[in-house]
Amino acid sequence: MTRPGFVLEVDDRTPPLLVHEGLGFRLEEFPQGTRVVYPPESLPTVPDVDEAIREALDNPVDAEPLRELMFPGMRLTIAFDDLSLPLPTMKAPDIRGRIIEQVLTIAAEKGVDDVEIIAALALHRRMTDAEMKHIVGERVFRSFAPQGLLYNHDAEDRSNLEHMGMTDKGEDVEINKRAATSDLLVYVNVNLVAMDGGHKSVGIGLASYKSIKHHHNAKTMVHSRSFMDHKHSEMHSSAWRMGRLIGEHVKVFQIETTLDNEVFGKPYDTLLKREWEWSLRDQATVLGLRRGLAVAPQKLRHKMFHDLRSNYGLTGITAGAVEPVHELTVQRVHQQQRVKVEGQSDVMVMGVPYLGPYNVNSTMNPILAACMGLGYYFNSYLRQPVVREGGVAILYHPLDEGFNTLTHPSYVDFYEEVLADTTDPALIGPKFEEQFATDPWYVHLYRTSNAYHGVHPFYMWYWIAHALDHLGDVIWVGGNPKAAARMGFRSATTLRDALEMASSTVGPSPSITYLRNPPHLLADVR
Amino acid sequence: MLLTGVTGFVGEALLHLLLTEVPGVRLSVLVRPKGSISGADRIAKLLAKPIFETVADAQVGVVEGDLSDPPPLPGDLDAVVHSAGDVSFDPPVDEGFTTNVVGVRELLRRIEETGRDIHYLHVSTAYVSGRRRGHIPEGPVEHAVDVDTELAWGLAQRAAAEERSRSVEVISRLRKQAEREHGRAGLITAAAATEEARKKWVKDELVRLGAERARSLGWTDCYTFTKALGERVVEAYAATGHRATIYRPAIIESAISRPHPGWIEGFKMAEPLILAYGRGELPLFPAAADTAIDIVPVDHVVASIVACLAHPPAHGEPAYFHLASGDRNPVTFGMLYENVRAYFSKEPFAAGDRGAARLPEWTFPGGASVERMMATGEKVHKIADTLLGLAPRSDRTRSWARALDRQGRRLKFLRRYLDLYKEYAQADLRFVDANTLALYRSLSPADQETFAFDTGVIDWHDYLYGIHVPSVTKPVRELDELRKLRKKPVPGRLPRIAAGSEGSTGAEAEKSRVAAFFDLDGTLMSSNVIETYLWLRLGELSGTRKAAEIARMAGKVPGYVWSDRAERSSLLRTVYKEYAGARLSELDAIVDEHLTAHILGRLAPDAVRRIREHRAAGHVTVLVTGAIRPLTRPLLPLFDHIEAADLAVDDRGFCTGHLASSPLVGESRGAFVREWSRRESISPADCFAYADSHSDLPLLAAVGHPVAVRPDVPLFRHAKRSHWPIADWGSPAHTTRTLDPVGRSAR
Repeated sequence: MTRPGFVLEVDDRTPPLLVHEGLGFRLEEFPQGTRVVYPPESLPTVPDVDEAIREALDNPVDAEPLRELMFPGMRLTIAFDDLSLPLPTMKAPDIRGRIIEQVLTIAAEKGVDDVEIIAALALHRRMTDAEMKHIVGERVFRSFAPQGLLYNHDAEDRSNLEHMGMTDKGEDVEINKRAATSDLLVYVNVNLVAMDGGHKSVGIGLASYKSIKHHHNAKTMVHSRSFMDHKHSEMHSSAWRMGRLIGEHVKVFQIETTLDNEVFGKPYDTLLKREWEWSLRDQATVLGLRRGLAVAPQKLRHKMFHDLRSNYGLTGITAGAVEPVHELTVQRVHQQQRVKVEGQSDVMVMGVPYLGPYNVNSTMNPILAACMGLGYYFNSYLRQPVVREGGVAILYHPLDEGFNTLTHPSYVDFYEEVLADTTDPALIGPKFEEQFATDPWYVHLYRTSNAYHGVHPFYMWYWIAHALDHLGDVIWVGGNPKAAARMGFRSATTLRDALEMASSTVGPSPSITYLRNPPHLLADVR
Repeated sequence: MLLTGVTGFVGEALLHLLLTEVPGVRLSVLVRPKGSISGADRIAKLLAKPIFETVADAQVGVVEGDLSDPPPLPGDLDAVVHSAGDVSFDPPVDEGFTTNVVGVRELLRRIEETGRDIHYLHVSTAYVSGRRRGHIPEGPVEHAVDVDTELAWGLAQRAAAEERSRSVEVISRLRKQAEREHGRAGLITAAAATEEARKKWVKDELVRLGAERARSLGWTDCYTFTKALGERVVEAYAATGHRATIYRPAIIESAISRPHPGWIEGFKMAEPLILAYGRGELPLFPAAADTAIDIVPVDHVVASIVACLAHPPAHGEPAYFHLASGDRNPVTFGMLYENVRAYFSKEPFAAGDRGAARLPEWTFPGGASVERMMATGEKVHKIADTLLGLAPRSDRTRSWARALDRQGRRLKFLRRYLDLYKEYAQADLRFVDANTLALYRSLSPADQETFAFDTGVIDWHDYLYGIHVPSVTKPVRELDELRKLRKKPVPGRLPRIAAGSEGSTGAEAEKSRVAAFFDLDGTLMSSNVIETYLWLRLGELSGTRKAAEIARMAGKVPGYVWSDRAERSSLLRTVYKEYAGARLSELDAIVDEHLTAHILGRLAPDAVRRIREHRAAGHVTVLVTGAIRPLTRPLLPLFDHIEAADLAVDDRGFCTGHLASSPLVGESRGAFVREWSRRESISPADCFAYADSHSDLPLLAAVGHPVAVRPDVPLFRHAKRSHWPIADWGSPAHTTRTLDPVGRSAR
């Protein structure tokens, strides 16, 4: 029986609680009365993954079985989520590879030989061969990659994009030409959190900048409350409009998967347990890790953390028409991650870990750290934010990892030029976005190297627009003061100092809520 | 009356005194044109100075000419005051003789030519007595030196030194040393340095010769020696029945009351020492506390000169006057030190970033012990400098270099002043001023007040503490104020990139084209040629052979380092030999497939931004590197032109281990920039260049806006000296430095 999530109130018996901060973590003593939100423990996983996949493909929701949709001579395209999902990267074999294998098996049986497999990475960085191989598996990679039939989507390849029309709100819908002109587009997704999947998969994953900019902007993001709740998210509404338009042109067969909460494998699984239930062995592990991390140089810590592979198990898989499939998916995600929280608080505390969607095998630069905390964690709510309007967010991250010039070249310039000018998400768009988005050097790096698109740092900043709009102050505990100031935030050495600084905004004895994340949680604030 | 040397300190004061207090006198001045400024203009400029504001109607006749060959003098002269001369203590020997002997002789010849009874007043120095000790009378200096012999010798020395400087021994030693230091930057740079060193050698040799000859005959230095010989010329002139006065002041310092208290022009003898002390940079001095330093205020000097002029001596018997303070009212080094220290304790220099300077406490340990301390300091500095030359480049070595250079400058300053003043500081001389005092007493009380020159009544505390030191420090304080107002330069601030003038016509735009040249290794990314060789080489080898290759290369590294120190191109040739047998197309493929990510990840973000800024401004960007062309492939989109080393290939496409043309290093980079700019009709003066190593000096020197990027120590020093901006572009800290990126990426 899975224990549900709950809200702990810190009292004198509460041990110090674990808080992630980049390439490390600390044990923090929270003031008494602090509410700590724990996610539910892992749901039971499906007993036989291959069987579950077969079942889903044979009995799709609101669609004919996959087998029935295939015929000889057809154009079949399989698209899949890129390495930004799940976090951390799954231990091999990746669930997407297992699904693709079965889809390919059916296609082979039905005599389909025009098959291409596309990584739906939108404006993310191209994956390396090794990364690609990890997701689709050795066998698929070997059979498709050398012939150029397995490749990264290129949102800047004008000759390979198809403009499918405009939505009733005047939004351009432009996606990968191969996908748009296929007889069947199978999308293989990993729905790690509630914002993933649905029409976002094809509508954004395979789209071009021209199309994406309609919903990835400060205005839309401020009105996405939250984007973990697609029915109240402007961004999702736009993606849904686009998705429906795409559905009129191409048959989409959506396969969505949901995962449990086993974020870390052994021995790091201790970090997922509730602190007062730590055994002696757990306590020894934590002590050992802390000692080790304290003396390890940053490069080594980076390697330690980034070599971690998750132990995710499959809690469910659904296939068929996009919208009904996604309904079921969201239900399962909620079941795994939703925690009821009574009312908002004055202060919200979040520990930003070493990894976010955009720094897999790379570094968590200050912009990504801000996006992780104020974009993802802050928005991880239903109904209303955990913190009241005008309240304070306290985040933990050293903000000291620097920029990876291979994967995030435009971030460096965004940090040095744009943020030095203004940190207002509404202002940076009109002033700088076009220039970064069309810069030939960034375009070159996006298309040929492993770099995020030039416009990507803007999206990070738009992600946090809602938080900036809502919050009265943002304080980074242990954050590099220079980096924090550049982003328009403040930094403190300890939680005590941070609360002292926050007192001018929320008074001397504020109500505090700490989101104990990871594992993933979704606060349902009543 | 004719004056010489009015543009000097004493001459100016004398001119001022005559114009204000001796109204009847008609003045002419002998002035040398300086550069394009005529003598008359120099005088006009002089008379425009604030102290001459009170002079209603200055009528000064100007005689243009040089003392070594003076023009005929005006025919109506009654007196000539000769106060021109170099006060440098260590002039090259020929210049000392020319100024102090030839100049006097020629002037006297012109005076004789006029045929009039002219009173010639010769301003000499009290220190012509040389290394004598104790009381010095107001009379001829006793010595038996033959003036003509010495003069002929002195004037011949320049030619002789020039000759010697070109001898094989000297020139080859200088060349070897220059090549050791500058060889990496190329032989032309080294040759320029050699010629520079030879000129310096000639000058040093002449200075040394003068000083040695002077000491061998009992004088302190070339200045006093030639001055003493100059007096002999005057005495010989007087002996032929002329009127002549030999006037010998001691150390002349600022005015006590006129033109105004503390008036001083330029820095004289004690000023650099006073200022250095106030900055806390003069920790010791070789004098004894009770040794007198014989100083006199400038207004006393000129007043006594006027008095001398009013009392011409008899024909054929030169008169001698000392203007000194040491005999009757001595000021000692101890007093000077106390007063200076008291003054700076009360009014320290404007505090810098680190607060006011700590004033050193002098212990007057004596000359020998000061000399020992200096010698030790210099030895340590030299050793540290040698070690620094061997240290690998890093931020730390650069900061060491900065500290060491500062230390070196201080040591040099100390050495120079200690050497110069050692003799004076240790000279226990007492200049008897009986004649001068008698002259003073013979004046009417009114004249005694107007032309005060009794040094016996000066209150040294009032003078030093109240007048002299404040006036000496005033310009420095003003300069400090100015410096404070000026915006602090941001370290690492690079020259601004001006965008190409838009809207200009085609021809104009063509004219204003600008290029930016970038070096690769060490500038755009931290790498070197051996490392990049291994990146490529290890990519093709299996596990065990990789280890063997690394071991083989490791064994060769000392040899490489050695040849790199000697000459860059030989290193490149040695390493590039290792490419023999590799297929060029394969090298390209390895780079494209595996190394692109590694190279892009290693690029310094600031460097990339700078390149892109240049492009945005419409500049042409050029990569100049000794690296082989395949390695530059990932950078193609950033540059309009890439000048890299091309490996020679045989007809099957395999590398021969040779280069298609000689590698672009050192001098050839400068030549490349010039030739390339000429072909592209770009003016190098408008161009930018970025490089990291001493061997890139010709590249940097070829353009108008050079920038040193994380430079090695020799380039760092050169950049500092030439005021080139220094940029700190580091590869991102998190990138892994690996010899085998291909292996890693394939994993």
